[in-house]
Amino acid sequence: MKQLMGGARRRAVLIGGAVAVLVAAGAGTWATDTWPFDGKDTYCWGAWKEDSGPDFLSGNALDEDNASRTSKETVPTPERQRGRCTVSLRSERFSSDGDKVVEKTEVTVDYGPAPESAARRMEWLGTFLGDRAMPLPDSLPGVSDGRRGLLVLPKGCDTRDGRPTAVTLDSTAESVYGDSTMPGDAGLGGSQSAARLLLAAANRAMEKAGCAPDKPLEVVSPVLTLPESGETFFTRACRIRGLELGKEAEDLAYQVGPVTRDLQSCSVRNVRGDGRYFDALMVAQPRLSAMFDGATGSKAPARGWRGTGVFADTYKVVRADCAGRPLTVLMLAPSLHETTPYFATFANAVARRVGCAPIAPGGSSR
Amino acid sequence: MNDSENNEGNENSESNKSNETNESNGNSTHVPLHERRRHWWHWQRLARSRPRLAVIMAVTGAIVGALLGGAGVAWQAEAGPFADDRACWGAFSRDDAAALFDGKGDGKGDGKGDVKSSEVPITSDRTGAEGSSGQCLLTRDGSRITVQTHQLDTRFGGAGDQWADEFLSARLTPLGGGLLGMASDTRAWLAVPDGCIGRPRDADVTGGPTVIDLATGWTLYDDEVNTEARDRLARAVVKLVNHYMAEKGCTGTIADPIGRMPEPPRFLDEKKDAMCGVEGLPLPRGYGRDSLGRTLVTRGAGPVRTCDRRVLFHHPELRLMTVEDPRLAMLYARLSENGAQKRIKGDEHDGYGFVRDDMGLFQAECQTGPVTFLIRADSGRRRAEIRTLLPRFVAAEADRIGCGPLHITLPAEG
Repeated sequence: MKQLMGGARRRAVLIGGAVAVLVAAGAGTWATDTWPFDGKDTYCWGAWKEDSGPDFLSGNALDEDNASRTSKETVPTPERQRGRCTVSLRSERFSSDGDKVVEKTEVTVDYGPAPESAARRMEWLGTFLGDRAMPLPDSLPGVSDGRRGLLVLPKGCDTRDGRPTAVTLDSTAESVYGDSTMPGDAGLGGSQSAARLLLAAANRAMEKAGCAPDKPLEVVSPVLTLPESGETFFTRACRIRGLELGKEAEDLAYQVGPVTRDLQSCSVRNVRGDGRYFDALMVAQPRLSAMFDGATGSKAPARGWRGTGVFADTYKVVRADCAGRPLTVLMLAPSLHETTPYFATFANAVARRVGCAPIAPGGSSR
Repeated sequence: MNDSENNEGNENSESNKSNETNESNGNSTHVPLHERRRHWWHWQRLARSRPRLAVIMAVTGAIVGALLGGAGVAWQAEAGPFADDRACWGAFSRDDAAALFDGKGDGKGDGKGDVKSSEVPITSDRTGAEGSSGQCLLTRDGSRITVQTHQLDTRFGGAGDQWADEFLSARLTPLGGGLLGMASDTRAWLAVPDGCIGRPRDADVTGGPTVIDLATGWTLYDDEVNTEARDRLARAVVKLVNHYMAEKGCTGTIADPIGRMPEPPRFLDEKKDAMCGVEGLPLPRGYGRDSLGRTLVTRGAGPVRTCDRRVLFHHPELRLMTVEDPRLAMLYARLSENGAQKRIKGDEHDGYGFVRDDMGLFQAECQTGPVTFLIRADSGRRRAEIRTLLPRFVAAEADRIGCGPLHITLPAEG
């Protein structure tokens, strides 16, 4: 057969067609803002992308004067099971009075086991699991409240000595005026979005650390937001019989967190000064509970208590069996006032609610 | 890439032919004969030079690309020729709607004709006081399915309220998984989860969860719930809520509830000391199987545990109910405060309630939030039984759900 079309012509046709297709495809990707036209930055080991939803990742966040977004990260590796990444936003604006205001936002993800020191670990667990944190859906062992979150990773990521590894997400935001600083919202985009950020970072960190499960972890069901706000006018705190605080309640406010079989929290604060009166927490979800391992002592904390526990200066923790699984109760309180009776009341009320024998002395079962 | 390859192929065969023609005619005028015979719009006449050909190729490629792209977008957005006539605010395809009637999703139905639908869009009134509401009606051959979206309020939990009668009936099984929703073969409902459009504050008396519910009609069979039909309605209501959430821009998808739902309930063989299966609640005299009908009790953990006796057209003659989910218990908040003069005494922190001839109610403040304990008759003839049952019912049920010990004292008679 004869070659009828000249090489040059053939090339022109080919190139013309290829160019046309590329132009059309390019127009499509450009219009839909997808690769390779986006040129977006990524953060946290590549887990988060600029403009992917939450405010702190959006381009608008950089519209103000002198705005910048910077990030730092240490990558976990199979040899070094620790990692951290931080995204910082900084911008300046002028208030209506013409004063300069500096806005600072910082979002941090940590990968690693819980703090080793018992006192620091209790504070850490109280911070992430207490207050307004709600359990994640789809049986994920974690919590989120829209500002921070914690996820305990699968057993494959446990440390060599068997401690669970967790990924935490934390955020702070503040507006710095000439003479004062106001707290603000970091713009994680609510509980649902915070949970997604947490899961994305966790999945990426596990890949880097070489312990990713076959299927990435994901949140499918809606993430619940605690519907209740704090209560200032009360005598009985957190709807728990026996936590009547009497006269002291006048200067206090309480916040009931989740009340489920796996997790319950009650925090009582001073109305003035925002100080902690006490934070009470119950954890029965097995993987969350494992975070307490090794810090709950080896004998009863005091006479008449069931299980094992530690009464320290700044915290009290007790772990006891409850229907075949360990139930841990924790109270964080400054040592200014005696809180053991409150702790005993909380422990027994919660145990009774979930159908277990009393943990503290003097309780009665159903 | 395909485009250019195809064109190239065409050109090859075309050129072959033209070359043969050329050779046989052997003459050459200004415009070659074979081109003169072609119409002016023939591609080879148009593409006489290489640059022209390249331009044509580019333009054609771009147009084809744009058409493909546009069609793709239209297909994705289900617009233009790809539009699907969807029912109930866009949640159901034609097949989904047909499947609700006959259980088959093949869109062919069973020869009974098409499903017709009409709807009122989901909107809020101007003040927002009554929340979002909307209605969708599906009909086929005389059967109809009513789908409602509405925000529940204290009116739904009133003494003789039809919604609570029908949708909290013991025939319905909880959807499980912490969802605020239930389903039977004739009724299903599900609340939009907290955090999507938010739960109104407790302080707002009329506030309650926004629910989507489905009603297909009536049945006289108290304890014969068709499991297949129930699962169908459960899936449908989950689909409706997922669609609503997506429309509202809420992320999160409620998973299929079928696997975790227990079998529908059957009539209970009541023991003398366990009325409605509640340990420690003696069956009043004359409440045997023959005198006041048989008992049906909600099966599975969920927002309510209802015990219904002698149900006629979804209206129970006697109902004992524990409303454990605070989002639903708040429907009874106003009633518990204003229901009657005869206040029940208890620890002021434990809750409040009342008892009257046809009803006894205690709204407890449990660790999980408000919980409603309710006994209700359809007439005033059950006064004595209600008085006897209520304190024991409250104590036993409070213990079961982890709200005990809860002891209430009824006001004196008269």
